[in-house]
Amino acid sequence: MRLLIYSFIFLFFGFSFTSQVTAETWYVKKSATKLQAEAKARSKVLGKLNKGTPVDVLGKSGKFYKVSAAGETGWIFRFRLTKVAPSGSGGDGDVLGALGGQQQIAARESAYGSSIRGLSPVSEEHAIKKGASPASIESVKEMERYKVDDEALDKFLEEGRLGAYAD
Amino acid sequence: MKTKFIILCFLSVLFWAIPSHSFNFGNILKEVEKSTRPPEKTQPSKEKTKPTQSPVQSSEQNSGQDGGLIGLGDSLGLFDKKTSKFLKQSVNTLKSLQPIAYEEEKAIGGRLAVEVFNRYGGAYNDPELLNYINLVGQSVADVSSRSDINYHFAILNTEFPNAFATPGGYVFVSIGLIRMIENEAELAGVLAHEVAHIARKHALQTLQRSRSLQGVSSLTLTVMDKDPGLFDKLIDEVSNVLFTKGLDKNLEFEADKYGREFAYRTGYYPGALKRFIQKLGASKKNQGSIFSSTHPTSRERYNLLQKSSSRYKKASLYPTLGKRFKVAIKR
Repeated sequence: MRLLIYSFIFLFFGFSFTSQVTAETWYVKKSATKLQAEAKARSKVLGKLNKGTPVDVLGKSGKFYKVSAAGETGWIFRFRLTKVAPSGSGGDGDVLGALGGQQQIAARESAYGSSIRGLSPVSEEHAIKKGASPASIESVKEMERYKVDDEALDKFLEEGRLGAYAD
Repeated sequence: MKTKFIILCFLSVLFWAIPSHSFNFGNILKEVEKSTRPPEKTQPSKEKTKPTQSPVQSSEQNSGQDGGLIGLGDSLGLFDKKTSKFLKQSVNTLKSLQPIAYEEEKAIGGRLAVEVFNRYGGAYNDPELLNYINLVGQSVADVSSRSDINYHFAILNTEFPNAFATPGGYVFVSIGLIRMIENEAELAGVLAHEVAHIARKHALQTLQRSRSLQGVSSLTLTVMDKDPGLFDKLIDEVSNVLFTKGLDKNLEFEADKYGREFAYRTGYYPGALKRFIQKLGASKKNQGSIFSSTHPTSRERYNLLQKSSSRYKKASLYPTLGKRFKVAIKR
């Protein structure tokens, strides 16, 4: 009987241990996601990852996940990761691999960068046909062209102690 | 005692093991769909009598068929008439719920965005304020449940307190509403509520449930381009919901709940949206506005948020950023 009990305990803890050490693959939700040396927003940036980059989640500390990506191990703000591979439904860039020089470009897009998709011709034609004012059509195009600069956004979050910078 | 311990261990192992053998709900749906599909040989006779049959009609007709598992269950007396009818209706509803792809969603949302500018005063011209709105909006959108699409934020030049979201990522807030706001956390709550409508695809859900558009499962840009009547119908349908009738109450409550969560994830005081809703309810400016006629009452919204607020422990420690907001709007 005692042997049976020990077997169960062994099986239970054995399985639990296995599930903890097996790294789970998650994906980067947005381009220019920072891979950092520590679980702190102000720690050294090891590199920037592109949208869709697969990472192995190794652990968790506060709002950060410890991950391994392209041979590097570091920390990523948890809301920058998803369990499901992004579909590319209008996101901001292709997956170019990890930690390469091209990833740095994503952080330096101008405020009025080009949008992946503009106002659809179907929408524009329909709006014109229905008599919408050209100013309204132009306002939507302007809205789509407007791109928040990643560095400006990061500074904004840091100053407000928001996002990864929140206490 | 020992027996109890053994049972406990066994249950623990079983509990651990079950999730690893997950079932595929999609496959089950496919099987159910297959089982309820009428025999193919019966179709030609129908096509002869009704050559211009629309997908809506055909789905209605399918609901009348007695094929498959449900039909079998019916004939064996496993289901009563009521249950059988309910099961058939459920299967047909599920069949019509084909998701609209992002490109089509963006075409619908973009057209509606033109309509928003057209109806509600056009764009408010203040580049600095627009930049600030975009920073706050992008911050909450980045932690939302749908952060892989681009969100676009704009200010409407109307003193009426209004806020809108159209499918595909377009968010609008009126200058009148911004003037009622007292701090950044409230603004984040309002914008996050709109982001939640987009992230949860509320307008699309409504569209897909619509009886007159049950055949949109095959909706593509090519189809919309070739059939302007269909696109007209789609736009009219969603415009009516967004600008006149309003979304279903429960979708508004859901947007409140998710909006508060997104603002909280960003690091804002999670009670700010609730406070602002209360303020909006008490405001004379809001009375008779499109915002009040298309949303549930402020009291209902406030009460529901209040009920679930215990989830946010230590909420008061989170910032509202009143000073930064006042500088941004030059108050």
